[in-house]
Amino acid sequence: MFLERLFSSGKKERDVTEKMRRHLELLCDVCSKFKTALENQDRNLMCDVIDLERQGDSIRRAVISLIYEGAFLPFLRPDLCKFVEVVDEVFDLLKDTATYCRSTELPEPLRDECVRVALLNFRMSEMLLSSFDAMLKNYDLREKALAIRIYEKKIDDMKFYIIDEAQKIPVSDFWSGKILSDLISGLTSISDVIEDASDHLQIINISMR
Amino acid sequence: MQVREFMNTRIESIDADRSVYDAVEIMVDRRFRSLAVTFSGKLSKTSFDGVVTARDIVFKVLAKGVNPKKVKVSEIASRPIICISQETSIQEAATLMEKSNIARLYVCDGDKVVGMISMLDIMAAELIVRARGSHVS
Amino acid sequence: MWMLLSGLLLGWSLGANHTANVFGTGVATGTVSYRAAILLTAVFVALGAFLEGPKCMSTVGALSRLTAMDAFHCALAAGIMMSLLTFLSFPGSASQAIVGAVIGAGILSGTADFSKLYKVVVCWVFTPFLSILASFTFYRLFRYVLDMIDASLTQRNLIYSVGTILIGCYGAYCLGANNVANVTGVYVGSGVLSPFAASLIGGFSIAIGVLTYSKKVMMTVGKGIAPLDPFSALVAVFAGAFTMHVFTQVGVPVSSSQAAVGAVVGVGIVGDIQTVSIRMLTKIVVGWVSAPAFAALLTCLFIKLDRMGGFAAFFEIFR
Repeated sequence: MFLERLFSSGKKERDVTEKMRRHLELLCDVCSKFKTALENQDRNLMCDVIDLERQGDSIRRAVISLIYEGAFLPFLRPDLCKFVEVVDEVFDLLKDTATYCRSTELPEPLRDECVRVALLNFRMSEMLLSSFDAMLKNYDLREKALAIRIYEKKIDDMKFYIIDEAQKIPVSDFWSGKILSDLISGLTSISDVIEDASDHLQIINISMR
Repeated sequence: MQVREFMNTRIESIDADRSVYDAVEIMVDRRFRSLAVTFSGKLSKTSFDGVVTARDIVFKVLAKGVNPKKVKVSEIASRPIICISQETSIQEAATLMEKSNIARLYVCDGDKVVGMISMLDIMAAELIVRARGSHVS
Repeated sequence: MWMLLSGLLLGWSLGANHTANVFGTGVATGTVSYRAAILLTAVFVALGAFLEGPKCMSTVGALSRLTAMDAFHCALAAGIMMSLLTFLSFPGSASQAIVGAVIGAGILSGTADFSKLYKVVVCWVFTPFLSILASFTFYRLFRYVLDMIDASLTQRNLIYSVGTILIGCYGAYCLGANNVANVTGVYVGSGVLSPFAASLIGGFSIAIGVLTYSKKVMMTVGKGIAPLDPFSALVAVFAGAFTMHVFTQVGVPVSSSQAAVGAVVGVGIVGDIQTVSIRMLTKIVVGWVSAPAFAALLTCLFIKLDRMGGFAAFFEIFR
């Protein structure tokens, strides 16, 4: 076991980090597509978002099995797996929100703000990828973690405004109202989960310094 | 980075004829440091003619021991408001704030006010730019 | 030759008790498998005993003028003490047990050399402090080196996993080199064995102890001490081993538990955390105080019993 580890000189670990990076690149791609689809009310693009979530799932599974096949110190494995799971939660939220977007038309008064939220979500995903790269190189993540928190705070403020405005919009029935509410809830929760993921990166970074 | 990325699109306003006390109530309750002031007689999101800030209220009314219920917002508001375009850079916005000695700028699209950017937003934008700039390729 | 049996018992209990100081954290965190840990420890302990064991042999034997029977009784008393401590899951000091036993024998025969004891006690007192200083220094030094080479996550992972194993081997080597004198030093002092033979036999008995009964203490030591990150654990083991190696060159066998605990405390000081619980520290102190005291008492008891026709007569039956 020791010799195997020495001679493989980190190949398993490199496989894991490459796949994790691919996972995050996919996340950025999905966030970008989602924002465009929301802006243009493009239902076909929303379907792409839903499909890409499945791709994210399979990358997650591959990463976790590689980790438990012996990549990285046992000390680090739970944190790495947790991070991948949290990123997967973002995919799930995007998929759910995309599904709601397909079922309903986003009201005009809310559109601009929702598109701005989607844009900020995309910016956060880019920052998360950047944080991951920094973590691999053992750089300090403080600035990037702070940037993510700033974006999250901004979205939080926008969330209250959107909810206020949404309450002024009449709905035709319970289900329309529910779908709109779930859409807003999903859209504004994405940033919370990305922030969580960023916190987990900090934990990994600190424990390996 | 352009101001459009970091501006607040939610502009709170108050009619010029209302009392400073009403302004204080809104600002304390909703934690705003400023309110856009409308002089047209009706609350409209798209035309503001002035701004009343916490500084105005404290320095011009409360510090002088004047009853805020007896003062109208129009008497202490600063006008006209200073506008910048959405494409203005954060750096330019900061420079303009420094030159004019003001803590916020309104972002306009033609005659329409679309957002507001404060000193806090400038600082947050700076942190984001730095975090992006130390991005590892 | 039957007189060597007690020494073998002592060596066995030392191996069982002290493997934890070397690979305890490595096994607890899953970095090294238990099987690999005990195999490596056994090999390197024997190597250390063989190559540098003789350096400390003369110190133990010179504390009192011992006869062959005295040597037997001392090793037996110390061995029983160490076995008891291992059974109760207390980390114990074989050095202190054997020295207590030898002094006990010396007091009884009137040949105890307290000036030499003074040198040994001074080294004991310095062990934890040197260990704290070593771990504090190495922590800063290794951290500096790691930052200089700008190691990535995967590189650090490799360094920590390979490092745990290599440093564990070094720790086992130092344990063998320094502590084998506790096991068979009394036989060199009483003229039963040459230093070379004593190192071989002592090293072998420690290795057997490692292979057969080290799991119990390994699990306890890991539990009483705050979980260390891989880097701190590496530094702690290295510092403890280094401290023992220094005292090997001085020629005095010291406690590997004291060195290990001192190293862990030192790492805690750097990180500003409490690494050792008060309960654990109390357990350690109780072990340190009781081991030499009871070993001395036991030795005196055995010698008295023997004078009344005890052990020698007992083993005559088997001749």
